[in-house]
Amino acid sequence: MMKKLLIVDDEVEICEFLKSFFEDRDYRVAVAHDGVMAFEQVGIFKPDVVLLDIQMPGLDGLQALKKIKEKYPKMKVIMVTAVETQEKIEEAMRLGADNYITKPLSLEYLEKDVQDKIELLAKGV
Amino acid sequence: MSFHIKTPKTILKKVLVGLVLFFLGSLAAYLLPFLIPSARLRHPFFPILIMTVIFVVAYKPIERWVKKFLEKYFFHKKTFAQMALMDLASDLAVNLDLQEIANLVVNTFGEVLHLKTAALLVPDPLQNNFEVASAHGWTLAASKKTHLAADTPLLKLVHQTGPHVLVRGPILQSLTWQEANALARDFDALQAGWVIPLFVKGELVGLVAFGALSPDTVFDQADFHFFREFASAIAPCVHNALIVKRLKQFNNELQDSQSQWVQKTKLNAIEKLAAGIAHEIHNPLAIISGKAQVLLMQKGAKQLEPNVQESLNAIVKQTRRAADITRKLLMYSQGSRGPQEWVSLEKVLDETLALLAYQASLDKIEIIRDIDPELPRYYANVQEIREIFLNLLLNAVEAVGTEGKISVELKYHRDEELVEIVCSDTGKGIPAEHLDKVFNPFYTTRHEAVGLGLFVTKQVTHRYGGSIRVESQEGVGSMFILQLPCAAAQKAGGEKEEASILSNQRTAR
Repeated sequence: MMKKLLIVDDEVEICEFLKSFFEDRDYRVAVAHDGVMAFEQVGIFKPDVVLLDIQMPGLDGLQALKKIKEKYPKMKVIMVTAVETQEKIEEAMRLGADNYITKPLSLEYLEKDVQDKIELLAKGV
Repeated sequence: MSFHIKTPKTILKKVLVGLVLFFLGSLAAYLLPFLIPSARLRHPFFPILIMTVIFVVAYKPIERWVKKFLEKYFFHKKTFAQMALMDLASDLAVNLDLQEIANLVVNTFGEVLHLKTAALLVPDPLQNNFEVASAHGWTLAASKKTHLAADTPLLKLVHQTGPHVLVRGPILQSLTWQEANALARDFDALQAGWVIPLFVKGELVGLVAFGALSPDTVFDQADFHFFREFASAIAPCVHNALIVKRLKQFNNELQDSQSQWVQKTKLNAIEKLAAGIAHEIHNPLAIISGKAQVLLMQKGAKQLEPNVQESLNAIVKQTRRAADITRKLLMYSQGSRGPQEWVSLEKVLDETLALLAYQASLDKIEIIRDIDPELPRYYANVQEIREIFLNLLLNAVEAVGTEGKISVELKYHRDEELVEIVCSDTGKGIPAEHLDKVFNPFYTTRHEAVGLGLFVTKQVTHRYGGSIRVESQEGVGSMFILQLPCAAAQKAGGEKEEASILSNQRTAR
């Protein structure tokens, strides 16, 4: 089964290079640019892992996270943030985020982390 | 309330008066029959009669005369003491410095009356107690430690008795033993046998407590009268000085809170700015770095030219460096809003040392740690403490270069209630003309560095009310000394729950 990844970021360029990076590694990748779109995509695309930017127009990352975790508690969500503020990170962790990483991203680390989450899913954790 | 004490002086006075009267009486009884040849005067009851008459008529004048004589020829020292003290009182009238007044009072008092101890206590409205303003014959520690709470028996008694001088012995005898016990404790705390209250318009503005060298020392009514006079002379001076001191304090507090407010507003503005900048800069940096990483980690494509690969690596590295600046700025501006907990400084230090151990061993740098076994836990934000250690150590590693020693000491100064971090190295040192610049933002001697490390360290230290300074000699090494005070909260629960050093933060870099 193909590994499925949803990338949510209002920066189109970021979505693009992440998409090409993960597609290169045999992932099926979908992209969303705001919280509402992300939540719709989650329903249609049913990804294994979501990369979710915190700061977005409209429905922001934390609100989207809350909605996703309410509906799909098992779905793995990794928060991506440009600004590492203590409160936001704590809030995200409280809402059930599985990890967070800060921009600029280390793709090596990100790939490993996404892989870990998928393995966890396979084990049914 | 008044206390009548038979002092040696009084006894001597009475005996002298008696002797003089007796002498006069005998003289009259013996001489009169010779001068006036009358049979009646030879009557055996006549000497008794004449004696009685002389006692009744001459007692008062003789007593006055004897007293004057005694004061003049035997007790003139005391009048000298009284004069010295009254002179002092008039000197104090033009002084407004509480400390100077207190020192003058206790020292003059102690010296001219040959006392063992003398102390001036003044009210501290913040603590609602009386503290020692100055003491003569006390140990320094005792004068620092001694406080008299507003509800202690001694102060209650003073409020009841008013401006009267309190004398330990007679008062204690007039009380039940429980009350006497409690009161004796206060007298002992003040190392005093006598306490003179200082009242201004019914308000107690101070206490002069003193104790004599010999337990037999006694003062008489005249002395007490003088003490009261002295007290009423110096009380207004103490009162004025207290008001001046309080006004100064209020003024300082006002200035402090104002500058704190300014600092806070400034930080708020910087935080907003930093957060905005971080967001706007980290996204483009993420794109630059991400695209370079995609190229570097491409699968199935042909091998990159070495110079291309090198350039891409440099791009990734430099974007990280740029992001570090905004991250540090943000950290500086966020203030101490991070969660605080009881942190084991030793543990944080060891974690930080672990990060550096590999690099240090490559560079042949020996790191020595010396930790005070009494070091308490410190209530702080772990990240900030880690930042302090990391910055100090990175700085030291950089200064040493290769082959050298770094030593980190954690000390606890119980008396001053502060924790001291001393980080010294055998590195190249800092030129004297740069010493005052090392804590400036963006000051650096390295090409690769941002120059925010020590700046942030200083900001964090200040936030905890601490201080940081550096001593350095070029070619010998540098020493950073950082002092963090243990705040009131620190004492409250010294050994609270274990600090979770590795909190639930899984940070990716």
